[in-house]
Amino acid sequence: MAHHRTFKEECSFIDRLDDNSFLIKKGFVPNMKVEGIFYINDSLEKLMFDELKNWAGTQGIGGFLPGVKQIANVAALPGIVGRSVGLPDVHSGYGFAIGNMAAFDMSLPEAVVSPGGVGFDINCGVRLLRTNLDEKDVQPVKEQLAQSLFDHIPVGVGSKGVIPMGAKDLEEALTMGMDWSLREGYAWAEDKEHCEEYGRMLQADVDKVSPRAKKRGLPQLGTLGAGNHYAEIQVVDEIYNMYAAKKMGIDHPGQVCVMIHSGSRGLGHQVATDALVSMERAMKRDTIDVNDRQLACARINSQEGQDYLKSMAGAANYAWVNRSSMTFLTRQAFGKVFKSAPDDLDMHVIYDVSHNIAKIEEHVSFVYQGAI
Amino acid sequence: MYRRKLKALGHHHPESFDVHNDQEFRNLVVWLEDQNIRLYKIEDRGEIRDVKSSEWLKTFRKYLDDLKCPVDLSQKVSVVDWLLAHAVRVEYAENAEKYNNVGQMDQSNQTEGLGESSLDDSLMNLTVDNPDLKAGVTSLSRLFSLPQHPDHFVLLQAVRSLIEGKLSSLASKTDKKSDKKADIIPLHKVDLGFDTGDSAVNEAAKIIRLLHVTELRELQTRINEAIVAVQAITANPKTDQSLGRVGV
Repeated sequence: MAHHRTFKEECSFIDRLDDNSFLIKKGFVPNMKVEGIFYINDSLEKLMFDELKNWAGTQGIGGFLPGVKQIANVAALPGIVGRSVGLPDVHSGYGFAIGNMAAFDMSLPEAVVSPGGVGFDINCGVRLLRTNLDEKDVQPVKEQLAQSLFDHIPVGVGSKGVIPMGAKDLEEALTMGMDWSLREGYAWAEDKEHCEEYGRMLQADVDKVSPRAKKRGLPQLGTLGAGNHYAEIQVVDEIYNMYAAKKMGIDHPGQVCVMIHSGSRGLGHQVATDALVSMERAMKRDTIDVNDRQLACARINSQEGQDYLKSMAGAANYAWVNRSSMTFLTRQAFGKVFKSAPDDLDMHVIYDVSHNIAKIEEHVSFVYQGAI
Repeated sequence: MYRRKLKALGHHHPESFDVHNDQEFRNLVVWLEDQNIRLYKIEDRGEIRDVKSSEWLKTFRKYLDDLKCPVDLSQKVSVVDWLLAHAVRVEYAENAEKYNNVGQMDQSNQTEGLGESSLDDSLMNLTVDNPDLKAGVTSLSRLFSLPQHPDHFVLLQAVRSLIEGKLSSLASKTDKKSDKKADIIPLHKVDLGFDTGDSAVNEAAKIIRLLHVTELRELQTRINEAIVAVQAITANPKTDQSLGRVGV
């Protein structure tokens, strides 16, 4: 770039659409194929513009790339359609902004898939379990319950799970996703209904998952991991839509739920790392230009692109099996403390939502989402 | 057409009863009230027993009201059928145990030949364009207050799904099982997600969608039942606490 723009100059490319959204116009970064849009509230708005202001102040040298720039860089990826979207948890991430969503038209030969868009923790997501317990049932046994959960679900970097897995079990789990959990009895039949993709991506190919990734994943099934991952006992505070809540088995404030936030552990991280390495080569070969090295990508229809999608699907399946295993362990932990069957505690899955995943969706486009 | 019910109730000439003979019809009403229905006390049955009275039809109309008969007297054939069915219900309710035992004995003794003897010729030889069938379906659909449809086959399907959904023993069982009442959501609170520009069409679309969702739900429930059956064979979840290791 010839000269660095001032913060004010940068802002001339960003238009306020309404109280809660801004449009990023073409020209904000080079090669933008489409415009960007991001959704904010007051505090997020301040954060986004502070990021940009700091960055402009350092003339773009050092520090991390602000989220708005990342949204714009994604808008410059080959094959993108619609807009590059920053969802209301948007902030700076790896290549893509966190909460950055984009769709690519698979019919365009130049359309790309980028592991940065999916993220390193492939198919990281949250799952909510309900119980028929009330806050007052849990209060007196809080300590025991927390301890029981810790005993069943090991946490932290390098933790190992209590579910015995062999290499063959792992390969089957990667292929079958939650169907494996069902077959082995770690999940209830109804659980699947409440998961995206019914807890299984069919295009998974275990042969595309490297031995190193499998080795990392093998002992970790049924563990939470570190960082912002958690298994929390939560209490319903307020119900906004009684009909919907009742359908989900939530019927009163004070009802106890369990939320599990976790993903594909070391296995997913390794799959992403492997893909980034192979894609750097593919980018040179196919002369794909991107604005940020972190946006390493490959054409969807190239060998590298297809291999990534198949291994990503395997990692996604691993994440569903992982959350299902932790669901099983949570049900056991509750069952022991309350001396009753998880069935009688009505411990059904309410939902399981992924926030780090790429999917082929109708209209033959290709969608990423990344959040949290 | 009332032969079976009349026979079951012990009528003296079930084969030859003619509903269009007014005298026979009135006598039957009195006989049913005396023998089975017994809605009124004996001393209050004077008026209905007076079948020769010119006021009899008026009395009968009141009698049907008291019985909460859903069929209008203008459809005499259906009214008689309903009365007979009601009498059978009363008779059965009073002697349920007796009849249930007979049923069981019947099953063990007479499974052979059941096909031929209990299905009489009229049922065996029933064809789709049989006028009796058409008439029967039409009167059934009226009983259920279903809207009319020119194709009696469509009507029959509607009758069937209504019975299956609301009246069969299975339906009433599942109702009881989920002992809390189903939540009723007013239709106007259901979100259609799009607008056809015509409120009646919108409502119809909502109803169709809800029915569709219900069907999908039933299918999914059956799938789940199948999964559970397979799990009984395949599932063997294990945990081994010695494998666990807490990280840093």
